[in-house]
Amino acid sequence: MDVVNAFRRELDRKGLSRKVALRVTGCHGFCEQEPLAIVEPENIFYCRIRSDDVPKIVSDTLIKGKILDELLYTDPISGENVIREDDIPFYRKQDRVLLGQSKLVDPCKIEDYIAIGGYTALAKVLNSMKPEEVIAEVKASGLRGRGGGGFPTARKWETCRKVPGTPKFVICNADEGDPGAFMNRSVLEGNPHSVLEGMIIGAYAIGAEHGFIYVRTEYPLALEHSRIAIEQARECGLLGENILSSGLSFDVRVARGAGAFVSGESTALMAALEGKLGEPRPKDVHTVEKGYRNLPSNLNNVETWADVPIIINNGSAWFAAKGTAKSPGTKIFALTGKVKNTGLVEVTLDTTLKTILYDIGGGAADGKEIKAVQVGGPSGGCIPAKLFDLPVDFEALTEAGAMIGSGGMVVMDEGTCMVDVARYFLEFLQDESCGKCAPCRLGIDRILEIVTDITMGRGTGKQLALMEELGETIALASLCALGKTSPNPVLTTLRYFRPEYEAHIREHRCPAGVCRALVHYAIDPENCTGCGACLKACPQDAITGEKKEPHVINEEICTRCGICKEECKFDAVTVR
Amino acid sequence: MPEYVTLTIDGARIRAPRGMSVLDAALDHGICIPHLCHMRSFLDIGVCRLCLVEVEDDGREKITASCTLEAEEGMVIRAHTEKILKLRRNVAELLVAEAPNSRAIQDLAARCGVTEVRYPFHHASCVLCGRCVRVCSEVWQSRSLGMIGRGKETHVALPFNERPEYCKRCWACREVCPMTIAPCDGPMKEGEEYLCGKCASQLTMVEYSPDSCVWCRLGEGFQCTRQHS
Repeated sequence: MDVVNAFRRELDRKGLSRKVALRVTGCHGFCEQEPLAIVEPENIFYCRIRSDDVPKIVSDTLIKGKILDELLYTDPISGENVIREDDIPFYRKQDRVLLGQSKLVDPCKIEDYIAIGGYTALAKVLNSMKPEEVIAEVKASGLRGRGGGGFPTARKWETCRKVPGTPKFVICNADEGDPGAFMNRSVLEGNPHSVLEGMIIGAYAIGAEHGFIYVRTEYPLALEHSRIAIEQARECGLLGENILSSGLSFDVRVARGAGAFVSGESTALMAALEGKLGEPRPKDVHTVEKGYRNLPSNLNNVETWADVPIIINNGSAWFAAKGTAKSPGTKIFALTGKVKNTGLVEVTLDTTLKTILYDIGGGAADGKEIKAVQVGGPSGGCIPAKLFDLPVDFEALTEAGAMIGSGGMVVMDEGTCMVDVARYFLEFLQDESCGKCAPCRLGIDRILEIVTDITMGRGTGKQLALMEELGETIALASLCALGKTSPNPVLTTLRYFRPEYEAHIREHRCPAGVCRALVHYAIDPENCTGCGACLKACPQDAITGEKKEPHVINEEICTRCGICKEECKFDAVTVR
Repeated sequence: MPEYVTLTIDGARIRAPRGMSVLDAALDHGICIPHLCHMRSFLDIGVCRLCLVEVEDDGREKITASCTLEAEEGMVIRAHTEKILKLRRNVAELLVAEAPNSRAIQDLAARCGVTEVRYPFHHASCVLCGRCVRVCSEVWQSRSLGMIGRGKETHVALPFNERPEYCKRCWACREVCPMTIAPCDGPMKEGEEYLCGKCASQLTMVEYSPDSCVWCRLGEGFQCTRQHS
């Protein structure tokens, strides 16, 4: 915000506010380099801007047309400065169908969205297409749900249309809750009208009268922007009675979630909408038949809705040509963890993990090797480096034991202990499980008990087989998708990184040096100069030694906090 | 006249009124599917996951709880395949490891084939089957009990932890609770938990009707050794 205000002030001061249009946009996806500004029409890309850089940008680039080298992006491989946004490797390999719109619109201005062709898809649909034709078009595009399961969108719409019962509802699921995923948030914050347009088209195709956007309270900006978007659409006659004189009546409300991961599950979400406890119910009768208030309700993810206008405008063939035959189109992934270029990445679904991690992500952050990537959040799985040639389509990932899920990608390098990763995700799931059904509540608890045992060095060989059996039971017996996918992190780490588990159990050793109970800190007498820095820093007084003599760590007192290692300037503290 | 549907459970053709659950239909015809949270004519919530069955759906096999599955014309159900028996055994093992101090749960576990419990015992006093909550709200319309908390913290509680005036003190909640039936030799001491496997009660007041297993008519479905008199 400081940067934006600085631009406003500076433009006013120079009397340029009428000549230069300042557009405050949503996220551009390149988190690592933000805040950033793009100067149009030259497409000059300035990154990591601070407010004191602003006067210079205005006086040099805007007025004199001079490019400021120090604010340009430096390609870490070639070491050269890149001027244009399109030439940056992070963006070059992407296909930013959805995210690309964000830089063109101010999310609080419907005019901006209309200026880039927004709501033309809706006009086209209302003027020239029957609801069945809309469904046929979406079906031909092969669009599959972007929220995790990958269910064919058109099939859902079709069922919902055919089911008797009125009124019908369309719901947008923006209850994104997994660690390291923020693509729904970005779309809703940066371009809420695209989601809204998709929902109106969907409502027309299905025959729905009411809509909800279910946003979690932790996303205040997304909430605010969706509310503003709905307000503006109403004023323009794009929501409400008789939309664009077509006879279609449809209105949308924003519903605030209370921040529960499990409420992203469709039945739980609808229970929460009704004001009940956000717990899933058995899904033998689908929500398209009996959903919100037992009425037909069609729920899709933010990204799925936003894809709809794009498909209508560009045609189903254009969309189907991207990606693979079974998984067409593009998908946004949130790239985080131990990778150089963290951020939002939109790629076609035939892109390999290697391309995403190395070409777009720029490889591991501090010169280490990437070991694995957790795809699909806590319900997804860890895919090891040897499988990085896999494309990110629905089937390939499921076969590898992971899933696209919402699209989170957490990158792990050599310094990550896979047993610890499994433990982290299990703890998350235990907190976020609704606690309703026995296999999920008790099962996760028991697996976590075992994994914790292993990280503490109390594990036994038998427990690995037990974990696999229990994981399978939870996957098959649980009530909802959260439970059914909850063992994935454990099962995939067991499948691909079994030697790490075995090292913990048999040798009482943590290969990555992460599990505190299994690592030993020691001082190498060769390197120790006896400076006393570690001795002073140790909060437990576990280090003893005379000045200028090698120091010693008392293992019984040492809590393995790692402070001595950070303090030592001579690399004398070893961890094994 | 109610409308009927015909479905197949474990190879037997069964006629059941439309709208009846697969579990009720099976129990009515002597096919015993073990269950804990289910109570006849109560709302089924499908949480104990013991009554799992395999159902053919569009040629694909699906595993789901039979209490929440409505019987449909031509449905093919398998309630006792190797896979289902193993899942049921594992779920029962989780339940009995959590709350070993209940004859009902011990008994269920023994009949699901649990012979050894591979986890350390927790001495929980509730397995969140929700029977008390439902009997309170559905039969007595009292709603004095409810579930609060999430995940591991979920528990049954009174509103603001005080017994409200509208609680009719009927204690139906206690009667339907699987924990109120203590194991045969009294509550087990910590560290000395065991599965005797001798009981043949099912989840209700065996004391009141000593000669009948309540829902289980034949007991063959889960190899019950008790003879029906």
